Amino acid sequence: MLRDPIEGKLGVPNLGIGMGLRVPHYRTILEQRPAVDFFEIISENFMVAGGKPIYHLERVLETYRVIQHGVSLSIGGPEPLNRNYLTRLKQLVNRVKPAWLSDHFCWCGAGGAHLHDLLPLPYTRAAVSRVAERARAVQDFLEVRFALENTSSYLTYTSSGIPEWEFISEIAERADIGLMFDVNNVYVTCYNQDLDPHQFIRSVPHERIVQIHLAGHTNLGKYIIDTHRGHVIDPVWDLYRETIELAGPVSTIIEWDDDIPPFEVVFAEAERARKVSDAALEARARPSVGAGSAHEFFASGAAGAEPQPLEEVRAWIQGGPRETTAHE
Amino acid sequence: MNDAEQTELSELQLWMARLLRTRRDLSRNESVAHQIPLHIMGNPRLSPEEQLEIYREQFWLRHTGSLVEDFPGLGGILGQQDWERLVEEYLESHLPTSYTLRNLGDQLPAFVERLSWLPHRELCTDMARLEWAYIELFDAADAQALSPEKISALSPEAWETAVFELNPAFWLLRVRYPVADLRRALVANRDTVAIPDEGPENLVLYRHERVLKYKTVSDGAFALLEEVHRGIPLGVALERAAERVPTEDFEESLGSWFEQWGRLGWVVDVKQSATVRQPD
Repeated sequence: MLRDPIEGKLGVPNLGIGMGLRVPHYRTILEQRPAVDFFEIISENFMVAGGKPIYHLERVLETYRVIQHGVSLSIGGPEPLNRNYLTRLKQLVNRVKPAWLSDHFCWCGAGGAHLHDLLPLPYTRAAVSRVAERARAVQDFLEVRFALENTSSYLTYTSSGIPEWEFISEIAERADIGLMFDVNNVYVTCYNQDLDPHQFIRSVPHERIVQIHLAGHTNLGKYIIDTHRGHVIDPVWDLYRETIELAGPVSTIIEWDDDIPPFEVVFAEAERARKVSDAALEARARPSVGAGSAHEFFASGAAGAEPQPLEEVRAWIQGGPRETTAHE
Repeated sequence: MNDAEQTELSELQLWMARLLRTRRDLSRNESVAHQIPLHIMGNPRLSPEEQLEIYREQFWLRHTGSLVEDFPGLGGILGQQDWERLVEEYLESHLPTSYTLRNLGDQLPAFVERLSWLPHRELCTDMARLEWAYIELFDAADAQALSPEKISALSPEAWETAVFELNPAFWLLRVRYPVADLRRALVANRDTVAIPDEGPENLVLYRHERVLKYKTVSDGAFALLEEVHRGIPLGVALERAAERVPTEDFEESLGSWFEQWGRLGWVVDVKQSATVRQPD
């Protein structure tokens, strides 16, 4: 059932097109074993001793390749990295044996508090040094290729002195880690910060992109929230095509974490990603990357869906709901 | 790394983390209004306060949402207004420190017990303790139940010095109200459930074939399970339990208890103690 992985970047394989493993899809996945190339789990949801989370993970591992994605490392936080967290993460790595593992260019708390959010870092040399040093240490400790993901951001620091693409590129180079490139986050951040997504995509080290994330979002007009809700919008598909044209074949995951639809809907989104990727690879010999200013991109009719009225402000959680007693 | 730059970065993060945990909308918080533009840029669509406010609001929504999911019984007893007050006071006085939201409510039972304004406080305390126990049991380590054959194969002399190991997914809880039944009713239909009368129960909470379950047991069985859970030889455990509950006929019940406890997966191993420990 599984496609053979092909050689990828930085020594990790290209696993194809996969999906985020989410609780509402467990039954379909375990009973029907659909032809998904690979799944991505949220590490923290499985850093537990046993019970249903581990049972379901083991059943998935019987059939599928699985990679890990974390949301709580807080690699840019003011406190040292949490050794207990890293030890438990490594225990999970030993169970899952992922081809690579990722977290985010972010911080999650300070002063002993963990705020369970992916807070943006100021794009400064101090933050570059801190994150690069720790990223290398994490990769060495876990003994598996490590990658960091560009986050969606809703604010800009006055202290930021370099563009985000330069910030993440320099960290990746200095730490010798991979990039988990979230194309939807590029769109969201560029919309929120009046930046040019084409320039963002052109400016990152393509040879370090080991994985791509695609997801939907919620456009509130004045800003966009990275809710991982709904379909990937057409402009993000265009940015994905452009990324593949520049970077070549890259393992890609569809994330859908809020109002999670039936498995078949997310699976169809993954199949669309496969078609877009295949077309982009065919076009690689004659690349036609986009150009133009952020203003032109977002002002164009093709730049996104209409803003959605805010029916209800609610929490968004990266990775969707964890399996809890509420699922009993 | 440049120490001064690192300190500046850390101070920015400490400042921001404090603001994101405040309960008041930042755009209406005059005491910090002058600080925010020093650190946050804003843009033509959103002021610096509005940009930060997106994260502050999410802190509260995310953490209250997690507690709602983990403590449906407690929320059902209190109703929305008191529940929201409880959660706000809890989050204001307890820093979330764990990397996982799973642990967010670990101090909630003790907090509820101390909260003088809370209606039905004893009932709420029992419910919070029950729901925290369920969280702990849900993903506790897996263990293979001891086979009934292995239990019945113990010779009469071996029982005296046998040390039984109980399942990691096993929890003893003495409550003043029938909260396990109440929680089940509240989760099924919270609108029509009456607050129950006081009625003490000895609850055994456990996970069987990955499903959370509960069972009420007699005072004697509960006392014996508590002693066995301490990892002492059965002979000593029986003496202590008999002192605590002299009305229970342990000799009569012991065989059937262990047969049942083994079947339910509560007992996972038995070892022989080298020496019979005397009661303290």
